[in-house]
Amino acid sequence: MSWFRSLAGALSILSPTCRQATRLQSEARDRSLSFFEKLGLRLHLFLCKWCRRYGEQLKFLRSAAREWEQDESRQAPQGLPPEARERIKEKLKSSRE
Amino acid sequence: MATDPESTTSQALPADSAKAKPGLSDPERWVDWHGDYLFKYAMMRLRDPTQAEDAVQETFLAALKGGRAFAGRSAEKSWLVGILKNKICDHYRRASRETSFTDLEFYSDEESERFVAEGVVKGAWIHELGPQEWRHPGQSLDNERFWQTYRDCSGKLPKTIAAVFNLREVDDLDSKAICRMLNISESNLWVMLHRARMALRRCLETHWFGKGGERL
Repeated sequence: MSWFRSLAGALSILSPTCRQATRLQSEARDRSLSFFEKLGLRLHLFLCKWCRRYGEQLKFLRSAAREWEQDESRQAPQGLPPEARERIKEKLKSSRE
Repeated sequence: MATDPESTTSQALPADSAKAKPGLSDPERWVDWHGDYLFKYAMMRLRDPTQAEDAVQETFLAALKGGRAFAGRSAEKSWLVGILKNKICDHYRRASRETSFTDLEFYSDEESERFVAEGVVKGAWIHELGPQEWRHPGQSLDNERFWQTYRDCSGKLPKTIAAVFNLREVDDLDSKAICRMLNISESNLWVMLHRARMALRRCLETHWFGKGGERL
């Protein structure tokens, strides 16, 4: 029966659930998936529009995270507090002397 | 501002070996020009005003040692951001020696209710709760209110989860480098990144895309 168990294992890799597919799509961004993981994910994405969306949205998250640091207006509103500003200036002055 | 025509601009790493060239650019003016930006940047990454102030101060002091001149304010800014990033990584390294960076509690079961729990289609998205279509995501990036939502959503992630997400997605460090820096295992890192993405995706969907924010 061990062949049956390995067949069942192979089938489950080849037909991941949405839950598994979301994890695989995330991990695909951080490591290389195995051949069977890739194949299973491809098959799943071919059939599942929710998971396709999920993958697109993960891509968007990355571009948003990267865009964020490019532009001052996207960052938090509060700047360097005035006391800290003065303190740092003093520090710079004294370390230059 | 550029006073030394020979100095090469930008890309220059804050090489400690660089000869100090005092007077080329006024360090106190750096604070006025770049202090706010660097502080905001550090706040997003460290989420603690005192730590952020320290990181900014260390950045300027290191910059003073590096002593370079730049042919433009933006080149100078990128150089300073580069130093600040290193300071932030130093901070993470120190923090990882004191407490564990691994957070596997966060969001461990939050998303379960979105998947079918039993039966033949166990683990499939419950359709009404699955990922919705996001209209014009690209346009959102130009919307100030989107960024407010983004900051709020990112702020809801636990510190360590947000830290690994940004190291991976913003700084594009690979898994091994992050694991070395934070002293965590790769499989734990992947779980944390997966949960960070899930949580951030869901938060943006709930508070921006699902509310029609993209049409504002």
